[in-house]
Amino acid sequence: MIVFWFLVKEGFHGLFRSGYAGIFSIIILCISLVLIGFGYIAARDTLVLVDNIRSQFDIDVFLYRTATAEEIQQLTQEISAMPEIEKIVFISADSAAQRFKSEFGEDIFDILQYNPLPPSLTISLKKPYQHVADIELLAAILANKSIVDEVKFRKNFLRIIERYQQLILVIVIAAFAFLTLISVILASNSIKMTIFSRRDVIETMKLVGATNNFVRAPFLIEGTLEGLCAAVVAVIFIALSFYFINNYLQAFISYRALASYRFYIGLLVLGSLMGLVGSLRAIRKFL
Amino acid sequence: MSPENEIDMINFFNVSCTFGKEAGVRNLNFSIEEGEFVFITGPSGAGKSTILRLIYMDLFPEKGKVVIRNFDSSKIRANEIPFLRRKVGMIFQDFRLLNDRNVYQNVALSLYVSHYKTKEIRARVYKILNQVGLGHRIYYHPSELSGGEQQRVAIARALVKEPVVLLADEPTGNLDPRVSTDLMNLLAYINQQGTAVIVATHNYGLIQRIPKAKLIQVNDGEIVNIT
Ligand SMILES: Nc1ncnc2c1ncn2[C@@H]1O[C@H](COP(=O)(O)OP(=O)(O)OP(=O)(O)O)[C@@H](O)[C@H]1O
Ligand SMILES: [Mg+2]
Repeated sequence: MIVFWFLVKEGFHGLFRSGYAGIFSIIILCISLVLIGFGYIAARDTLVLVDNIRSQFDIDVFLYRTATAEEIQQLTQEISAMPEIEKIVFISADSAAQRFKSEFGEDIFDILQYNPLPPSLTISLKKPYQHVADIELLAAILANKSIVDEVKFRKNFLRIIERYQQLILVIVIAAFAFLTLISVILASNSIKMTIFSRRDVIETMKLVGATNNFVRAPFLIEGTLEGLCAAVVAVIFIALSFYFINNYLQAFISYRALASYRFYIGLLVLGSLMGLVGSLRAIRKFL
Repeated sequence: MSPENEIDMINFFNVSCTFGKEAGVRNLNFSIEEGEFVFITGPSGAGKSTILRLIYMDLFPEKGKVVIRNFDSSKIRANEIPFLRRKVGMIFQDFRLLNDRNVYQNVALSLYVSHYKTKEIRARVYKILNQVGLGHRIYYHPSELSGGEQQRVAIARALVKEPVVLLADEPTGNLDPRVSTDLMNLLAYINQQGTAVIVATHNYGLIQRIPKAKLIQVNDGEIVNIT
């Protein structure tokens, strides 16, 4: 325990003595944490947006005009029982005609003298099933029903969204990994400079009988503290930016930037870890 | 008779350490007992510092082996070396005090590395600093001290861990004669308390001060005489 406090003190001591190199690692880590923080929120909100767009795509099941009310009733019940169904709405031929009128302003009877619109069921799916693969499977099942004429959904559009969503995810993760790696390496190189300037301390500690772990610990603590400092600054910066967006840009954009305390804690932890890993990498060469 | 049968505190068995050149030391055979006072003398470049570095295992022999108590240079693992160094007090030719901390912290460092309790550390550090006459310089930084005072901080740091042997490399290097007399008296006192003392020096004048001391004379990396 005493040793622990001694090492923590040494770590703080080092932090204040590391000068420009220490400030440099803090700046590097801070910039990358800000980028990661904004990037995370942007990616999260984009994905939520895409998800919302997705969920607005319904499956239209067109029925034969000959289908009886009983048959329709039975099919509706059958479909509602399926686990992936969120909502099912029946649109009769008449109400389809009415909808046509309200949408296009003209009565279909006046044009064609009869109602060509079939009765249909509009199905929306629960979130986990909003994938092309799931929908295709369901569509195939529904198309086989005797009263079903045709099943329609915007397959191509969904495909594109799905592909882009995956692409965004891959790009975001790759960018984060790259950013983290680069900033850890840069920070670690500048930590290396602070260690280099204090190699006499390392040497002397070893000569008076310190184990490698004992020599290492203050530098790891120092690196972690640098990461934490960087993260605190980044968190303040991000929180202030969000405050600004939410309070002063409301007139121009409808977007609201929201982040939970978990997001901020996550950044603090990430920053500390980056500092720790950076100093671990840096000290390796000196022991 | 195998030399290993009669093991002393410090044993050199046919040790060579030449840095891959003609320099360094060759074929050293000697031993030092507990509580002995030893001078290692010889001209500059003879290999005195090299011998001391072999003792605290900052260097390892290319041939032969160094055995200090139960630490054997041919078998020791890197993570055991700190435990050897906690038993060996060292006063370096260039002191190696840390300027990022004060006198107290410099001396306390060698106890912190061995995980002593703060209370014990404080008691021991104050005691030793008073003993070497630096009680009034505890919160100075090494750079604010004279050469002789720095020397005494180095001694205090070496002694505070109560080593079984104290190694002093050119301890009177650039001290005036009076201060070196004080220093030799201090080393003699330490030796009387039971600690073995090994002094490497090219100052033959020092030798007369400790009449009972053993003398190991080196020249050009080899031992020329032991008396
Ligand atoms: N790290 C090293 N690499 C190469 N040669 C070395 C190294 N250290 C010492 N030597 C050589 O080994 C020889 C002995 O050096 P050492 O430092 O032991 O001498 P010394 O007796 O302590 O001299 P001084 O009285 O000047 O301190 C010298 O010739 C020196 O050049
Ligand atoms: Mg020397």
